[in-house]
Amino acid sequence: MASDEEYSLQFDEDESDEEVTALYESRNTSEFTLPDLICHKHATIISQESEFDIDDDEDDAIHEYEDEDDEDDNDDLLALPITMSTKKALSEGSVPNLKYECLTTQGIYERMLKRIHHLQPLFSIPPDDILILMQHYDWNEERLLEKWTEKMDDLLEEIGLNVTSKKIVDNTNSNTRGLKYRKDFSCFICCDDKTTETFSLECGHEYCLDCYRHYIEDKLHEGNIITCMDCSLVLKNLDIDQIMGHASSNILMRSSIKSFVQKHHRNYKWCPYADCKFIIHLKDTSSLGEYTRLHYSPFVKCNESHRFCFHCGFEVHAPADCNVTNAWIKKARKESDNLNWVLTHTKECPKCSVNIEKNGGCNHMVCGNCKYEFCWICESAWAPHGKSFYQCTMYNNDDNGKTKTTSTEDAARRLKRFTFYYRMFNEHEVSAKLDWKLGQTVGIKVKALQEKIGVSWIEGQFLSESIQTLVEGRTSLKWSFAVAYYSDPSHNLTKIFLDNQILLAKAVEELSELLLTKQPEAIMKKKPDFYNKAGFVENRRLALMECGRDLLCKGICKPTD
Amino acid sequence: MSSKRITKELSDMGRDPPTSCSAGPVGDDLYHWQASIMGPPDSPYAGGVFFLSIHFPTDYPFKPPKISFTTKIYHPNINANGNICLDILKDQWSPALTLSKVLLSICSLLTDANPDDPLVPEIAHIYKTDRPKYEATAREWTKKYAV
Repeated sequence: MASDEEYSLQFDEDESDEEVTALYESRNTSEFTLPDLICHKHATIISQESEFDIDDDEDDAIHEYEDEDDEDDNDDLLALPITMSTKKALSEGSVPNLKYECLTTQGIYERMLKRIHHLQPLFSIPPDDILILMQHYDWNEERLLEKWTEKMDDLLEEIGLNVTSKKIVDNTNSNTRGLKYRKDFSCFICCDDKTTETFSLECGHEYCLDCYRHYIEDKLHEGNIITCMDCSLVLKNLDIDQIMGHASSNILMRSSIKSFVQKHHRNYKWCPYADCKFIIHLKDTSSLGEYTRLHYSPFVKCNESHRFCFHCGFEVHAPADCNVTNAWIKKARKESDNLNWVLTHTKECPKCSVNIEKNGGCNHMVCGNCKYEFCWICESAWAPHGKSFYQCTMYNNDDNGKTKTTSTEDAARRLKRFTFYYRMFNEHEVSAKLDWKLGQTVGIKVKALQEKIGVSWIEGQFLSESIQTLVEGRTSLKWSFAVAYYSDPSHNLTKIFLDNQILLAKAVEELSELLLTKQPEAIMKKKPDFYNKAGFVENRRLALMECGRDLLCKGICKPTD
Repeated sequence: MSSKRITKELSDMGRDPPTSCSAGPVGDDLYHWQASIMGPPDSPYAGGVFFLSIHFPTDYPFKPPKISFTTKIYHPNINANGNICLDILKDQWSPALTLSKVLLSICSLLTDANPDDPLVPEIAHIYKTDRPKYEATAREWTKKYAV
């Protein structure tokens, strides 16, 4: 039998890491009011990260990070090792010591088989029969054991494992379990008279093999116990395999495990990504309440590297928490009819009015017709964006001066405000999709690099790492608009959050633009730039995340309507 | 193969008809039957004749027949469209059941309704709280639609 480890990955961290996280947590939960201080903390964690630790001594970027290390030498955090998973967990706004495992239905089934093997001495019936009992009680061991001690023999009869004398059909030679060969057999189900193989259980209800196969085939995917067609006597896995001629009972068992997973949705969650067969099992759900209280989200990752929130099943939505996410999605659904696609697909060049379709993630547009450079988001000239502060994430509340507004004006203003944030959210969602598409071509680029200038695989990895950072950055940016929408705009922390948002937006756009580089030689030349910009995006993202959680914890960001 | 089985059920029905029920194909279509049930004497449906429409699926008997009342009836488990809420017509169906057994089950459903698993909650509520009122209404409907 295959070992557990083959089907599950343990995400537990070793003791020293837990110490670190505990230390980190205690620091984090104390009141930080200066976001810069938090940024600084994160920066030290990042610089420690081995991700950037590549054997390339000529690389300027590495030196930069090392320099940072030197500056932060007095920080006690540096003395302790921090693992990748800890850093990731922190960056996504989840409590670092979330213990979960990634399983498949087959893995869970094999685990159940082990349990049954373990329990067998208690039952003194064959393991196959215990399997049926477990299946009947939805794999709930405690309930089964309770019932078992209560009424052993009755239970076996009730479930259909034992035959009672009154149920047996008086049909002398068919009262044995198994296949038989019959001449001129008249099957009650199909009403054919033929020479055929038949099957019956001890009850003597005998039908031709074709009918039995048809019957079982229909039931395999339901996952329920399959009984004789005419009474409650159970078909065991051996019987099923014998009738079907191959190991079909495995399909039945997996279907049964599927319904088990659905019934235990508090601990078990299917990975929500299309066609993903993995199941995340959270070992201890008691901590989830604590997560909610601290506005962390339990983000998990399946073995296919799909990341999602265990609580709401949505994508990684930090800095927003599940409440904000749900409120935002509900609202967006309600309002989206009149906003959605109009805003996203094409735009006219602000200068020459030619229709422009966006085909990359970068928001720095160059009109193919008149060569006018502009920002896709605000549709004004690009020039100020590059140098000074990137202003596009700022919602200018022009009604600031007014004190008295009627309700219709108020509603109109609210809608206008939502439209703005929704548009921003949407822009970044579309951009993230395009970035992802861009990521698909990165593989080709890396290959081109390897062939053209003989770069090793490991050296080319910075490209895909950059794409990953970019996508994560953009996803966080996207959700930060949901947080911004629900935050009190007059509060100082909101202003800090918005400033952080602007910084992340700027970092993301720069990285996105860099990734549009096509020539392999140029890419290699820009490698330090890639490290720089990706590192910057990551830093800004962590800062924004922490800032957002602060807003939630202090009740400045509250999802309404 | 389903036609063979349906033919067999038809001939069994003719040879040994179930009490107070009858059934047979509508026209030439072997897969579309009509059935009638006499209201059980110990129920408020006594004296009425209720017609049902039956459609056999092509993979009968592995899938249950689709049965609905064409006569209006006041019953907690039968709705205005004539749909019947009966476990053996859904997940408890077994290929070893026959139409004649199903019709008998429907007969006993008329005698003993199942208000805990209702299709029409309003009727079920009256059935549980004010049994005489339910019986009176059921009798009225029977007189109006099924006599």
